[in-house]
Amino acid sequence: MTNRVLEVNGLEAGYGLIQVLHGIDFHVDEGEAVVILGANGAGKTTTLRAICGMIQTSGSVKLNGEEIIGAKSADIVRRGVAHVPQGRGTFPELSVEDNLEVGAYTRTDGEVEADMERWYETYPVLYQRRTQTAGSLSGGEQQMLAVARALMSRPSLLLLDEPSLGLAPLIVEDLFERFAALNKEQGTTLLVVEQNAQLALGIADRGYVLASGAIDVQGPADELINDDAIRRAYLGV
Amino acid sequence: MELFLQRLFDAVSNGSTYALVAVALVLIFKATTLINFAQGEMGMLGAFFALQLWLWGVPMWIALVLAMILSAILAAGIERVLIRPFDPADHLPLVIITLGLFLVINAVAAIVWRFDPRSFPNLFGDGNAISIGGANLGWYTVGTIITVVGVLVLLQLLLTRTKIGLAFRAVSSNLESSELVGIRVGPTLQFGWALAAAVGTLAAAVFVANPVRQLEPSIMLRVLIFAAAAAALGGLDSLWGAVVGGLSIGLVQSVIVQYLNQWFSFPTTMSLAAAVVVLMVVLLVKPAGLFGTAAVERV
Amino acid sequence: MNARWTILAGSPQHRTYKLVTWTLFALFVFLVAFAYVDVGSISIGDNTYNISLIRLNKAVAFAVAILGLQVVVGYTGQLALGQSFFFGMGAYIAAWLVADKDWPVLLTLLIVIPACFLVGVILGLPALRIKGLYLALVTLGMAQVFPSLVKLESLQDYTNGSGGKIADIGLEPPGWIPFDGIAEFLQGIPLLGGYFGDGPIPEKQEERLWKFFLFMLVAGICFWLVANLIKSRPGRAMRAVRDNETGAAVSGIDLAQTKTLAFGVASALGGVGGVIYVAELGIASPDDFTQLVAINFIVGLVVGGVGTLSGAAVGGLIIAIVPDWASGTQSVAFIPERWLQGPTGSVVLGILLIILTFFLAGGVVAGARRLKARIVQIVPQPPSGGSRPPVSTAVADDAADSTDSSTVEVG
Repeated sequence: MTNRVLEVNGLEAGYGLIQVLHGIDFHVDEGEAVVILGANGAGKTTTLRAICGMIQTSGSVKLNGEEIIGAKSADIVRRGVAHVPQGRGTFPELSVEDNLEVGAYTRTDGEVEADMERWYETYPVLYQRRTQTAGSLSGGEQQMLAVARALMSRPSLLLLDEPSLGLAPLIVEDLFERFAALNKEQGTTLLVVEQNAQLALGIADRGYVLASGAIDVQGPADELINDDAIRRAYLGV
Repeated sequence: MELFLQRLFDAVSNGSTYALVAVALVLIFKATTLINFAQGEMGMLGAFFALQLWLWGVPMWIALVLAMILSAILAAGIERVLIRPFDPADHLPLVIITLGLFLVINAVAAIVWRFDPRSFPNLFGDGNAISIGGANLGWYTVGTIITVVGVLVLLQLLLTRTKIGLAFRAVSSNLESSELVGIRVGPTLQFGWALAAAVGTLAAAVFVANPVRQLEPSIMLRVLIFAAAAAALGGLDSLWGAVVGGLSIGLVQSVIVQYLNQWFSFPTTMSLAAAVVVLMVVLLVKPAGLFGTAAVERV
Repeated sequence: MNARWTILAGSPQHRTYKLVTWTLFALFVFLVAFAYVDVGSISIGDNTYNISLIRLNKAVAFAVAILGLQVVVGYTGQLALGQSFFFGMGAYIAAWLVADKDWPVLLTLLIVIPACFLVGVILGLPALRIKGLYLALVTLGMAQVFPSLVKLESLQDYTNGSGGKIADIGLEPPGWIPFDGIAEFLQGIPLLGGYFGDGPIPEKQEERLWKFFLFMLVAGICFWLVANLIKSRPGRAMRAVRDNETGAAVSGIDLAQTKTLAFGVASALGGVGGVIYVAELGIASPDDFTQLVAINFIVGLVVGGVGTLSGAAVGGLIIAIVPDWASGTQSVAFIPERWLQGPTGSVVLGILLIILTFFLAGGVVAGARRLKARIVQIVPQPPSGGSRPPVSTAVADDAADSTDSSTVEVG
């Protein structure tokens, strides 16, 4: 039986008086790549922020069977969630190497160096630029750095918030290939939030479609990709 | 020439103090994008701690270190109780809180130690290290330079070689992402406040250790403006910038104002006004300062 | 939220309500003035508290200066905190004109107001680019420079350096005011008469009373003008700039013009406050216009209530009275006497500042309004039918004060 990494039930969240999520349910199993699709304002980013305890939430969020709702972000991260926020969320004034080091902030084992080497091998461009500040990297490089930084914490779940945002199509394709490799070859469990349905479903096992703060459609990725309604709404065909 | 040299030496000794207070301001600014208007007063209070311990018989340098630790603890408490509850992006309440601290600390020091100036033990020994003609470079000036360089090197090591230092740099670079890598932001900022208070105490002690000065509650009032000008000149988030800024402001005060006085009979009592003008010009012309990285304009 | 009475804004009851409350307020001020003109101080245990009119007159001066801060900080959201600079400037110009040019003190306002307005505008120009904290820093720096400015040798002839400029104010009450008659009448009131002392009012006190009413009149005019300014088009622009600068700019508000106006008005009010201050004390001395005074004004602003006009009045009263009473407090149970000597007033003000920022954003005035809302509530008229009822003016009346307290920026 596969291990359920994330189980979300009746999640509600919002900002101030405005409620964005009206009770959503979904789950992510170990080794899976799950994508949440949705238009602008559907509540995709809010979902990830709610999981990480960055906003007021209610409902249930279980990480590896343990309830984490209401916990502080820093504690949730310490329990194994890594979040690459929209706009990448690197530390622009810090060097690439320091960024990776910060990624391993919560770790106390002695293998940080080894992990760093590993990601340098996976993304050689980061190695070339390891002494440069993160702010001086290109958008695609920053996204790679953000992902590598997130993985430095050896998370049991990696959250990616619209990784394609603001990047050129070719770079986006390259990135998603890397995400697929992360998931399939390295076994990283992924929860991706995207507007680019075609690409995202291409690397995902399962998908959810979020509309106005509620789950609209769900199913295996290859079914969704062939679903007429979804094709019309999100794939533009 | 001798006169010029002498003024240059004075500039360095004043500038070093401004640099140290500016470093304290920069530490808090990096952490919270806030200018701590009570920084000078906190340093003054720390200097009184040191003096009191010394009067009780503790050797001077130990008293100073103890005072630095005491002020650091006090500042950590202040951060926890008075600063952390507020939204860091909303400046008005934070400015008001630091102004309140300014009033309270200044007045409490005056109540406890009275307004009479007290001489502070000479930290660096008397006499001159070098005399060139009539210009004397006192041991005091040498001591201040060594202190500044020492503090900066230590801070640099602390920030680049330790885990808390890394966390501090991360938090000052990107607050939200810091939370997302598991850094506990509150305690990290608290660390910044504590560090700033320790440096501020050292700064005030070094300032009043000058044989021509005495410790009194209002001693740091003017220094804060000089230091703020120095910090702005260096770029509010750059530690070495603060040092360069401090020395430059020292130069403005001791050299430029003197020559303005000589040539245009510009009154020397206006050196504070000169500092305010420098501050204003920097903020107008180059708000990021000489070495600052980010645009400082966050309203 | 349920008030005992609700009054419809703009209705005849509302007008009566306002008339009655203002009349009661004026009567109260009048009675207080006469009640305390005779009393120098009250003693509680070993502590002596001054309550004479001198404090009140100072409070009026401070209130006008804080009113200026309300315009620039409270309504426009610019952290221009160096109000002691303009307070001092007004005081010194007035002292100089009175002492050396034999001007009547109130006439100096004709020079002080435009002069402070102009200097405020000029010094405000850089502030168009300097924002937030940095503006606070620069303006506090300016406040700190002021005492050394007036001590400059080149200004010695005008300012008399550190000795201070003494001016013979000579505000003698006109003979036609029957102070003694009023006092006699008040003393004759059964039950309450005892509070008004006995016998005629000494000449010295008559002068105080006269000054007090005069200052109240000047301050009243200032408050009335600012209240109208806030309701007017430029006033709305100011509030828009405060609430959302970018939003204001894209709505076509001229940021530079709006801010400059706010700086000018604030500085002019600072100057008026300074004139009143000198008219009361008869001397302008450098130590009265230090950075600490600038900070005290901020205390007044915050403790009274940022973004409210009445907050300025309350704030003025607080910073005039608290330091004085604190130093009058010489013995308190459980506190050694030694700790009650020195600037205890500043400790109290600083603590007040911090506590209010924490627990009562909006200051004393907001607290008082919350209480008031339980008793009387003014509700706007519902829009009725096609014709526009005269609601807008009445609502705006209240809006100038009350809507702002809800959007105050203090934590």
